[in-house]
Amino acid sequence: MNTLQRVGVIVGYEWKRALAKKKILALVTLAIVIQVLPFAIFTQVSPGFLTEEAKATMWIFGVLGGQSLFIQLVAIIIAGGSMAEEYEHGTADILLSKPIKRLEYLSGKFLGGFLLLIAIEAVMVVTGVLMGFAFFGPQNQLQFAPVIFVAIAYSSLLFFSLTFMFSEAMRRGTLAMLAAIGVFITSQIVYSVLLVLYTLSQAAGHPVQFYLDVSKVLPTWSAGNLPMFIASELMPTLRNPLIALVTGDIALSAAVIATYMVVSIAIAVIRQLKSDITKKAD
Amino acid sequence: MPLEVINVSNLTKFYGDFKALDNVSFQVEKGWVYGYLGPNGAGKTTTIRTMLGLLKPDHGEVQIDGVNSTKNPTEAFQALGYAPELPTLQTFFTAKQLLDLMGKMFGMPSQVRKQRIEQLLNLVGLEEWGDKRIGKYSKGMVQRLSVALALINDPVVLIMDEPTIGMDPEATAHFRNLFADLSKKGKTIFISSHLLDEVQRVCTHVGMINKGRMVFSGSIAEVLEAFTQRWIIEAEVQEPASDVISALKRLDFVEDIVVEGNKLTIQLKEKKDFRGQISTEIFKQKAVLLSLNLRKITLEDAYLSALKGSRAD
Repeated sequence: MNTLQRVGVIVGYEWKRALAKKKILALVTLAIVIQVLPFAIFTQVSPGFLTEEAKATMWIFGVLGGQSLFIQLVAIIIAGGSMAEEYEHGTADILLSKPIKRLEYLSGKFLGGFLLLIAIEAVMVVTGVLMGFAFFGPQNQLQFAPVIFVAIAYSSLLFFSLTFMFSEAMRRGTLAMLAAIGVFITSQIVYSVLLVLYTLSQAAGHPVQFYLDVSKVLPTWSAGNLPMFIASELMPTLRNPLIALVTGDIALSAAVIATYMVVSIAIAVIRQLKSDITKKAD
Repeated sequence: MPLEVINVSNLTKFYGDFKALDNVSFQVEKGWVYGYLGPNGAGKTTTIRTMLGLLKPDHGEVQIDGVNSTKNPTEAFQALGYAPELPTLQTFFTAKQLLDLMGKMFGMPSQVRKQRIEQLLNLVGLEEWGDKRIGKYSKGMVQRLSVALALINDPVVLIMDEPTIGMDPEATAHFRNLFADLSKKGKTIFISSHLLDEVQRVCTHVGMINKGRMVFSGSIAEVLEAFTQRWIIEAEVQEPASDVISALKRLDFVEDIVVEGNKLTIQLKEKKDFRGQISTEIFKQKAVLLSLNLRKITLEDAYLSALKGSRAD
């Protein structure tokens, strides 16, 4: 067996594990409910303010609606248990006493978990598009859906990698998830505070650019906004009152995501290669 | 191919300031059933986890079938099977799913895996449980499955941590025979256990560890010889009168006699069978001899003696 095959076995294991534990089933069900529910509500209240043009682009609302919060939480849930649960249950001992290198094991777990997340994201995107058709008739500009899907997948790498790193470093699933959720909430709060400070400084006639610059290195800024930035770039003339597409620095947000990802993976790799395998939690 | 299938040399492992393993070395040759003994906290599990590459040694190295397990785990562990103590397996899988996964990790083709899984489930008596989730298994069944998992790759070396713990006597006897069969087929078996009687029955060789240091490593016969200070004869007489005891105490080769009811425990000065002389003396004193046994030292006696010696150090 070569490295790729061994990594592939662990990827397969990660999928089977998620399927057997019914974790993926629960998350997919939740994803579909989250996609369907807003559309059903909009149809019930029959919003007259939706123009024909807006109705024909409702798929974007479905695709991007759950991106900034729900997908980040799913990433945290999947990555949080990925490494830690194996230590907590003592199953890491069994897997790592087989002919596999630690780096191969870690890579398989990372890839397996991330592919699982992508699958859920795919379900959400497809459901969003289908809901657009089902509730609001024929949809336009669907050619951009694959690009937006890739942007969603890429942006979810930030919190996935961060939580994966916590999972490997702390070796306790709940702790890892709490730490990642803590980072998420803190980042959101700090972002809001920085925006308020910037607005106040602007009102005082001396806008402090530093506040905006700092807000852009926060994890939630890039993870939550990159797909939106790309969508607004692709569809600059979009007029839909339910979708406020904001523009932003695509390159910067992509770089911020890559930086968080690389640093997180590097820490996880060092921890995995340099330390002992923790015994089963009592 | 080297004769030594497991070669542990100068293994040292610290947990913070605590020295869990202190320059531990031993070799296990092909076909041996090696019992690894030691009290709780002696370093048995640390040794096994280091051999498996789960712990990183501060010093020393482990070779499995001639391959350094730290530097080249994929090659070293290809020849190895491991059954942990009270394993917690992936309870959401069935036995067949888990065996299949482990087979894949060894690069076994699908058809070979299928045949091997059926064979192993029969071997460990779980043929009717293969499609049931492991979460529904009893402790003993999990232990059986753990042995099957360790055998999936037909390993050269089998490492087992307390393999019969949680098993009923019938299963214990079954596995004892299984280990003997595997040994006859040239497999090398390394068993960590605290069941000394079990080890004496199953193992050909033993290693003893205490406080992170190897106290002894050798064959069962060697350990019994090394730690036997004197032999004991147990005599049962109808009425152990004081003149019988005095007469026996006067014999040159008798060190001491302990009397408990009608049972005399006669400690000898030498490792020699003096039953003939003892019985003659008892008859001379006109006492009625009911039974006379030479008590050979057990592994437990040797083990306790070895630990006592290492503590004195």
